[in-house]
Amino acid sequence: MFTDEALDSVEIESLWRKSQQAAQESRGCQTRAVHITEAEVQTVSTSSSWTQTEEPQHQDTEQLLQQNQDDPDPPGLKDFLQRVEDSVIRELVRNARSHAFDGFQVNWEEHNNRVSCLHCLQHPSAQERGLHVTSVSWSCTGSVIACAYGRIDEGDWSTENSYVCTWNLNRQSLNPNQADLVIDVPTTVTALCCHPNQPALIAGGLYTGEVVVWDTSQTQDPVLVQTGMSADSHREPVYQVSWVPLQKKGEFGVLSASSRGQVLLWTVDSDQNAFVLNAAYAFVRQQVPHSSSFKVRGSSTVGVTSLALSPWDSDTFLVGSEGGLLLRCSFSAQTPAAVPSEGQSVTPRAPAVFSFRPRRGPVHSIHCSPFHRNLFVSTGTDGLAHLHSLLQVDPLLSLRVSDSYVFQVQWSPTRPLVFAAATGQGEVQIFDLGRRSLRPAATIEEGGAGHAATCLSFNHQNPRQLAVGKTNGTVAVWQLSTELTEQNPRESSQLEQIANQVAE
Amino acid sequence: MDSLSLCLRSFTVIGRGLLPIGAEVEETLKRIQGQKGVQGIIIVNSEGIPIKTTLDNASTMQYAGLLHQLVMKARSTVRDIDPQNDLTFMRVRSKKNEIMIAPDKDYFLIVIQNPSD
Repeated sequence: MFTDEALDSVEIESLWRKSQQAAQESRGCQTRAVHITEAEVQTVSTSSSWTQTEEPQHQDTEQLLQQNQDDPDPPGLKDFLQRVEDSVIRELVRNARSHAFDGFQVNWEEHNNRVSCLHCLQHPSAQERGLHVTSVSWSCTGSVIACAYGRIDEGDWSTENSYVCTWNLNRQSLNPNQADLVIDVPTTVTALCCHPNQPALIAGGLYTGEVVVWDTSQTQDPVLVQTGMSADSHREPVYQVSWVPLQKKGEFGVLSASSRGQVLLWTVDSDQNAFVLNAAYAFVRQQVPHSSSFKVRGSSTVGVTSLALSPWDSDTFLVGSEGGLLLRCSFSAQTPAAVPSEGQSVTPRAPAVFSFRPRRGPVHSIHCSPFHRNLFVSTGTDGLAHLHSLLQVDPLLSLRVSDSYVFQVQWSPTRPLVFAAATGQGEVQIFDLGRRSLRPAATIEEGGAGHAATCLSFNHQNPRQLAVGKTNGTVAVWQLSTELTEQNPRESSQLEQIANQVAE
Repeated sequence: MDSLSLCLRSFTVIGRGLLPIGAEVEETLKRIQGQKGVQGIIIVNSEGIPIKTTLDNASTMQYAGLLHQLVMKARSTVRDIDPQNDLTFMRVRSKKNEIMIAPDKDYFLIVIQNPSD
């Protein structure tokens, strides 16, 4: 019936595992070796340099134009010239022959035939004391006029204080009786000059021989620098101060002349706020060059009463003396002056190079023409105005200005042939050398004769304005007529002709 | 006589051809300068840079800069009024002298003349 049976086992292989394993693969990779090297560097020597741009004015004038003959002309230039040459020459010839514009004049500005007084400025406290106006100067902007008060007829040492007043003429609130700025000065001011670039600076010379620069922008204490009473400074009244351009562009020094025969050049040292004497020139009679036609007589000191700088030649300046000498001097003269040494820091030199015919009486004013490099005009107490050429000893022309002293003369800044002179009789005579007659072209007289006109100044920014200071303490600003201020086309050539005359 | 003048004419034609290129420009300028009253000549290129002049550097730079702008303004004025029109010649007469400008595509010729000299 039941028996044991042993059966074989049946194996079933796993298909699942095989299919998984069949999909498996493995791979490996390795990058090649990376090459590395190291190196070090160390500087053994160093150098540094820096550059600085120059001022823009230089670049314009130094730009060279290609005028080299060897360089080929730019393309098309020859053809262009061939095209236009004929028509241009035709026009030039026709223009030279044409009478179309003869006598044709255009009036751009209103033609003004009259000379009128714009303002009459006075300082009441100066007038009460009877002070005279000793010097007027316009600022570089042309709107401010500075006046110095003092006395011109003082003989002895004066200790009364005086003033320097400025008025701004372009302000609405101009009050002719009240100055915009009044600077009190301990002594009489004998000379004044405004800075040519900076409107706030005014240089002045005092009766005590000091030279001061005032800074009108400082309200506290306007005195910027002052020469003290040192061995370097003048001992006699300073009759003229001028701003002089120095070697370094843009810097100015102050040149002062005193009646002791000294002309000193000061520079402003802004660190110490003091004047530093840059150069000194002294005049001694023996060192004045004189030609054989006239002898110089008188005392040995040459008191300098007037000074003029030449706008054409920065090395030349002209000097007029108490004894009537007129000298042309050079800043770069090297001969030492024959004056006893007084412990000055700079050795004085003798600058006189050429001597013109001396006058009878002190020379009060010299002015170089702004239109011709060789001409200058000078006046003095003899009442004549002499027109000189720098190249000749004798004057080219002598004009009788007035019967009394002539205190100042100045060329007009716009008309080459016109100059104005302030006389002791109170009139200002304006001469026009283009006219045939020797009489003045215009006479400005403000009522009340008897008060001398001591100083005058043209306004360079607005050339129709002329300021005149008088001994009654008033400064009058005049507006000149168009005739006296507008240049004619032929004036420069007429001036050239006058300058080329040979004095008889 | 005819043959003589014929000879002369041909000679000058040949003569001109032999001149180096730069000298022809100088000759032209000399001819213009020799006219009555001419004070100076400047040739300016289309950018306003002077390339030839008979005046000093400073005056040349001044004239070139100012006149270039003036000519451009004049030309645009003429063309604005009538686009088919164009500037051919310009003369500026002043109290002291007269400036004549001949404009072109690439250059301007500026001549300053004082007719009353």
